[in-house]
Amino acid sequence: MKLKAFCVRNYRSVVDSGWCELSPDHITGIIGQNESGKTSLLEALKSFYEGEIDDDILRSDLSLPEVSCSFDIPVDMIRAVLNRKRVPEGLLQAFAREKELVLTRVWNEDKSSQVLAGGKEVEKIYDKLVASHQLKEEKLEARIRKILNETEKIRDQLKKLNQDREKLIRKLDLLITDYSDRKKRWRKRASGAEKEKLGAELEKMKEQIAELEKKADEKAAAAKDVSEKLDVLIPLTEVSVAVYDTRRRVGHAEENREKIFRELIEIQQRMEYAPSEREQRAAQLKLDVTQELYLQANKQVQDRQEEYERKKMIASLVIGGKGMRQAVKETEEWFSEYHRLYSRAELGHELFQLIPSFELFEDFSSLLPNRIDLSEIIKQKSEAEGFKAARNFLIVSGLTPDFFRQANSRILKQKIENLNRETTIDFQDYWRQSLGKKNKIRIHFELEHYDASHPEKVGKPYLEFWIRDDYERLYPKQRSRGVRWFLSFYLELRATAIRQDTGHRVLLIDEPGLSLHARAQEDVLKVFEAVKDRIQIIYTTHSPHLIDINKLYRLLAVQRRDVEDERSETVVFNARSLQEASSDTLSPIYTLMGSRITEQKFIQPKNNIILEDVSSYYYLTTFFQLAGKKQDVFILPSTHVTNVGMLVNLLMGWGMDFIVILDDDEEGNRMYREMKKNLFGNSDEKARRKICKLDSFQSMEDLFSTIDFKKYVLNKREGIPERNSEYIENNGLSKSILAAGFKQRVQEKGVKFTHFDDETRENIGRLLDRINSMLT
Amino acid sequence: MDREDKIRQQDKELTDSIRYAGLIQTAVLPTRDYLTNILPPHFIFFQPKDIVSGDFYWATRLGKKTYVAAADCTGHGVPGAFMSIMGISFLNEIVNQKIPLKTGRILNQLREKVMKALHQKGDSKEPKDGMDIALIMLDPENSLIEFSGAFNALYLIRDDKLQVIRGDRMPIGVNAVEERSFQTHVIQVQEGDCLYIFTDGFPDQFGGPEDKKYKYGPFQKFLLSIHKEDMEQQKWLLINEMLEWKGDNEQIDDILVIGIRIE
Repeated sequence: MKLKAFCVRNYRSVVDSGWCELSPDHITGIIGQNESGKTSLLEALKSFYEGEIDDDILRSDLSLPEVSCSFDIPVDMIRAVLNRKRVPEGLLQAFAREKELVLTRVWNEDKSSQVLAGGKEVEKIYDKLVASHQLKEEKLEARIRKILNETEKIRDQLKKLNQDREKLIRKLDLLITDYSDRKKRWRKRASGAEKEKLGAELEKMKEQIAELEKKADEKAAAAKDVSEKLDVLIPLTEVSVAVYDTRRRVGHAEENREKIFRELIEIQQRMEYAPSEREQRAAQLKLDVTQELYLQANKQVQDRQEEYERKKMIASLVIGGKGMRQAVKETEEWFSEYHRLYSRAELGHELFQLIPSFELFEDFSSLLPNRIDLSEIIKQKSEAEGFKAARNFLIVSGLTPDFFRQANSRILKQKIENLNRETTIDFQDYWRQSLGKKNKIRIHFELEHYDASHPEKVGKPYLEFWIRDDYERLYPKQRSRGVRWFLSFYLELRATAIRQDTGHRVLLIDEPGLSLHARAQEDVLKVFEAVKDRIQIIYTTHSPHLIDINKLYRLLAVQRRDVEDERSETVVFNARSLQEASSDTLSPIYTLMGSRITEQKFIQPKNNIILEDVSSYYYLTTFFQLAGKKQDVFILPSTHVTNVGMLVNLLMGWGMDFIVILDDDEEGNRMYREMKKNLFGNSDEKARRKICKLDSFQSMEDLFSTIDFKKYVLNKREGIPERNSEYIENNGLSKSILAAGFKQRVQEKGVKFTHFDDETRENIGRLLDRINSMLT
Repeated sequence: MDREDKIRQQDKELTDSIRYAGLIQTAVLPTRDYLTNILPPHFIFFQPKDIVSGDFYWATRLGKKTYVAAADCTGHGVPGAFMSIMGISFLNEIVNQKIPLKTGRILNQLREKVMKALHQKGDSKEPKDGMDIALIMLDPENSLIEFSGAFNALYLIRDDKLQVIRGDRMPIGVNAVEERSFQTHVIQVQEGDCLYIFTDGFPDQFGGPEDKKYKYGPFQKFLLSIHKEDMEQQKWLLINEMLEWKGDNEQIDDILVIGIRIE
């Protein structure tokens, strides 16, 4: 269960670090100048684990931070913890396919946070889960708008039809009344012309009445049709209105929360500037109340959002042709089913318990103190000075709080004395400084009680620490800061190794051994090596002594996008893109290479071999060793083929003899042409005396037969029909990591030259012979 | 159309389709004329069990050197035929690089291509499909041959003695244990030497009075008994021997035997 990579967004100067892959051998160094953002990356990882952030990590644009970590966790372990709820379909398969667990901590405006689970595939599953039961937002919106417009239109139509009908009926009523009057009059008349005239009028009126009745009936029929249409539209309208309504309610709740949040900020600011303690207390009280209100408001937003989602789903179903009752039923079923499934946040919460613990090695808590109150250790007061170091010491000594429960203080003191005789911290294996070499360092501790000089603590027990060597006994703080740091650091690692319950850990160390001598800093690296199987280490440094030149793949380089502007964002380069970092950022590596020149006989007057890059360095040194060929060669790796010319110029300037080995690829050939033109008067013959091209091999890796490449370099079994170098490029692999792995494998497994097949032996033999002939 | 007619119809369609596939497979095998041009006196006894075959032969010339192979893919019939087409294409691709490679390196490259094509990575659950093969390179200029084999062997008959040159005990495809490079055997040859490469179809055929496998011992003896005959005649004698051995039994696998006489 290892941390494989991390990605930090919107955290101080880091806008987006991209995925930063950690070294596969568990020691990762972050290099960069001051203010480049190295520490921010460590703190971001700490925040990821602890969930806490300060105001000062927020960027000025107030974009909220997000930290993602990817872990190498077997899917069986994931399956084992997911037993409280149901797991969405396909999720475990997605984890198995992705072969990693990605967890992302996202923070909210109130600095609360949640951990969401999932890489891209997992995200897709959740998106699909919701999308499959709902119309897309814009589509739903368009449909709702259409329905509401249509309903409005039909209502208007119906209203007009009813009005027209009423008008007709009123007219008809009048006509009928007039008709009855006239009919009475007509009956009273015995006969004559007037009666006839009246009779004719009545007939006409009758026709008019019939016509009006017909019209009224038509209007009624039309109204009925329209009304039926409206009946169909009404449930659709109702659900549409409900969607709008709930959305409005979400908006109101959000406004309310925003208002309370602003109040909260205001109170916090007021608290900072409160002139008196009384006012501060009053502000604190108000702050507590407002915080409570904020939580309520936040809950309201969440509830209303869910209600909005429900209404949207009902609307989607009704619009899709389902009856209202059915839609409500299906929605409720879906939500109840949905609630039975793990949400991404719940999943994140569950899976978080599987990951290794992250701990930042901090000077204040981790350096061994002179004294610490016993109660602070027993009560686990991690904020006490030196708490972690004291706790670590007790673990290393095999003590538990029960040890101090011994009522008889004389017996307790005797026990401590015995223990002090036994406890020798044998860290001189790692500490090559004279103090450690010549003298065994012992840490002594004593149990004392406060006297009257500390009236508030009088009579209370405390532990006192001493660091002894053969000559003197001093308080930790009286020792050099270097010894104190190294000892405390050593205790931390030893304690971790002893604590069986802690499982795997990620230790974050900011500028380890800042106060240590160069040799002691190299000792820190030795300790890292010793513990790397149990503890993954990520450290920041600008010290060349904390970098292993043979393991540059362990480095991440951090710098500002615009190196001249400290306000520009932080960018991170991994081992594969190290050469893109500025020379200032890479200065520890250059310093190291420079410092090694004198120490390791890096360059000599003769037999110098300049190589394109560090990976070629690993291969060639190993080839020489395996083939048992000439050993007095001095191999100088460039950081990239483009820098070969510079090294050649330097050696020529110093009057030193050399040869260059170049790959037979585009860049190698370009460098060959350049050097031939600039240094060898454009003569192939002269250039060939100094430059050895890997003819027909694109790079050192192609010297291996495919079988040997897979076995000794790649450590994998799969069909590779292309060239080895092409395979590396096509699969985005790091050449230096592979080359370092090869060197390590050869050393650890006792690989011999005869173990390679004839193809590899032939190719390497030919290259070494050629180098030898060029050197002599 | 009743049920029986329907089945008959489907059967006919399927057979036609396989027959056509058989034509394609024959088309990718080297032609008789081409083989006559590039090989010294030789015969090829190729008798698929079905219409299409999992066995295949392949030959090509690169400069003055001639490569010839007899291969047996996992399975016979249609699945075997798919593999055989793949094998022929890969072998052509490898020699098309125009670099004269040792036979062992050709097999190494062939294995890489097959493993890549079948996504084989050495996991226990993945399919173990692949092929067995015997590959010879004839170099008449230097009177030598190179031989490499994946399970399959080379028989060399000289002075009435049969010498077995065994191939490596691993297939072209993922192996049970980690893959190793194929060995290249370099053998000086002389005029009259007879070389035989073959698949396991002939020695594995059931038949005879006790209905048993023909086996490798009798196969070697039979070759010794006929090797002085004309190459074409050897082929007919092998066919005859097979027919007599098999009797009424069904042919159990594809059969391929290639014989070459060094001039």
